[in-house]
Amino acid sequence: MAHSPPAPTAPAPAMHRRPRPGRAPGRAHLAPLDGLRGLAVAAVLLFHAGYLGGGFLGVDLFFVLSGFLITGLLLGEVQRRGRIALPAFWGRRARRLLPALAAMGTAALLLAWAAGPPSLLGFALDDAPWAAAQVVNWHFIAEQVGYFNASDTRLFSHLWSIGVEWQFYLVWPLVVAVAGRGRGGPRRVALLAGAGALGSLWLMVQLGGTVDTTRAYEGTDTRAFALLLGAVAATAPVRRPADRVPRPVADGVCALLVCGLAASWVLTGGQNAPGLFRGGLFAHSLAAAVLIALLAAAPGGHTGRALGSAVPRRLGELSYSLYLWHWPVFLLLPQKVFGIGGWARAVLAIGLSLVAAVLSKLLVEDPVRFGARWATGRRGLAALLAAAVVAAGVWAAIPRPHPGAGTVDVQRLMSP
Amino acid sequence: MTTPLTGGFRWFGGDMHTENRPQRTSPRHRRPAALAALALVTVSAGAALAGCGGSGGGTAENASGQQKTGKKVLWIGDSIAGAEAPPLGAALTASGQHFKDASSDGGGTVVEGDKMSRPLAQDAWKTLKKNLASFHPDVIAYQLTSYDWGTPAQQRASYEKLAKTAQDAGAELDLVSAPPFRIDSFYKKYEGAIKSAPKAAEQVADASGGKVHFVDTTPLWGTEPTGKQARRSPDGVHSCQQGSAAFAKWYTERLGKQNGFTPAAPQKWAQGSWTGDKRYANLKCD
Repeated sequence: MAHSPPAPTAPAPAMHRRPRPGRAPGRAHLAPLDGLRGLAVAAVLLFHAGYLGGGFLGVDLFFVLSGFLITGLLLGEVQRRGRIALPAFWGRRARRLLPALAAMGTAALLLAWAAGPPSLLGFALDDAPWAAAQVVNWHFIAEQVGYFNASDTRLFSHLWSIGVEWQFYLVWPLVVAVAGRGRGGPRRVALLAGAGALGSLWLMVQLGGTVDTTRAYEGTDTRAFALLLGAVAATAPVRRPADRVPRPVADGVCALLVCGLAASWVLTGGQNAPGLFRGGLFAHSLAAAVLIALLAAAPGGHTGRALGSAVPRRLGELSYSLYLWHWPVFLLLPQKVFGIGGWARAVLAIGLSLVAAVLSKLLVEDPVRFGARWATGRRGLAALLAAAVVAAGVWAAIPRPHPGAGTVDVQRLMSP
Repeated sequence: MTTPLTGGFRWFGGDMHTENRPQRTSPRHRRPAALAALALVTVSAGAALAGCGGSGGGTAENASGQQKTGKKVLWIGDSIAGAEAPPLGAALTASGQHFKDASSDGGGTVVEGDKMSRPLAQDAWKTLKKNLASFHPDVIAYQLTSYDWGTPAQQRASYEKLAKTAQDAGAELDLVSAPPFRIDSFYKKYEGAIKSAPKAAEQVADASGGKVHFVDTTPLWGTEPTGKQARRSPDGVHSCQQGSAAFAKWYTERLGKQNGFTPAAPQKWAQGSWTGDKRYANLKCD
């Protein structure tokens, strides 16, 4: 009967090189945007640790960033070449996202088997195929995990947002490939994205008024406005006027927007906050989209430089693997570790998540992205198949637990 | 279901009778007799199993081999009722009755009250009509829900509508009071409606001339949500396996008295596979 939607998550990064201010989105790496991603993942981590009531809004910022970056890449390609090589696009996304996801999923299953309670393992085994198929958000909607406030019974509950992103990645490039051609392409894409965002908002308002808010919170359609507002921000009709904003003004507005977003993370009381599904999330997405558009136009201002400084940027570069790992770590780590709990446990959990994230980046993500020998050509294919076999084998081999055994004492039933 | 089952049973009985009676002690006829007996046992077992299936069946066989009619109990309510459903189904089935869980997570109320409960009630009424048409219950058991939000007059009107619906369907109606549960910020503004619901239900039962029973669960659960007797799960709202089993035993006994059947001993059902139902893991029961 609880009414909190499931745990929020962070989306996938799109770019990871050093800043090259002034380049078009998707063709360059903007350090302030990495910094924003770092802030977002920090907010999510603190929210899950119980110390930032509105930290779940970080995932909304991730969505906007993804919409902006992916649309920039797609529009750039269709404008340059007149078409989008869709299989190549999806292949790049898969190479970027799936290896780390598969590694985390396999390791998390093994850890849950070794050290988790039967119910956690049971749900993880149930949810894993849905997560692998990138539709786990719909699975959670069907299971009403938000209604039961059951996110913390699910090792993979944070993967709902990856599912949303993947579904967006499947559909949106098709739209851009068709609508983005020719001189009027960016304008058409902007109009479609804007109209889609408004439609998505309408859906969220309709579905957010129910007792179980999982549908509104995790639906691809209801959350699409964040991705689509990011997409609008990546189009020329927005980027051109953003470029014309005087730099000091843009910098000041960026500072105000960053403060506003941070304030909303601090002041929002949780996922049941009034107005969240009636425009609150949309307003957050809109503010994030404006901020991103201005930062992309003027990344070298005070705000851009602060966001692009070492700590938030490094955190942003780790955000995907950090997001993947933090939730299993939070759930599997005992409530008391060597007698410590509260803040100290949260710090320990975040530290362990960081270690796992660094290892994932160094051992899995970077080799695949940067073409290590084992990750390219035939070796790469063999590695991919081997990883798939190992993941499926682990899933199949782990004995299914039998939760509930011994939970009823018949003698107590018989006593008056 | 009853007719073809009975017909099949009779056919084999007649066949066995004519084969066996003249040569009861002849060794030549032992094998056919044994085969016929085996056939009888097989068909009887099949009949009993089919009777327990619950999907349109109205018969079951008790331990002594006598056929009797089992009552069909349709269980409706919200997710609190949903958490009670697995052992209730197990207990009633073990007692030779038929059970269908039609409770709804996040809904299930029949009270057409305020703007929040009205859409839930519309869904609940639609589902109820479908279940009446497909299951043909003898007993409709409605556990008052945590969403019975409306004025006392709206609550009474809705319960009366439910009583009329049950009567038209040829079913008895039990209005079962909800267990005490934690009133958090979500429920706070509906606290008045949650308190008035059992009173409204009792009034409807009192005015029904015995057609509607108000089942007061206070003796089982007590009145204090945080009390030991309430046996709430960590969320303070639902029950876990032990509490649900306690309810199943208590209510099955009451249904037995009401409908003339002997409840099965808890040893037969209380530790069955239902204890592994996913909803208890969702509720962090173990």
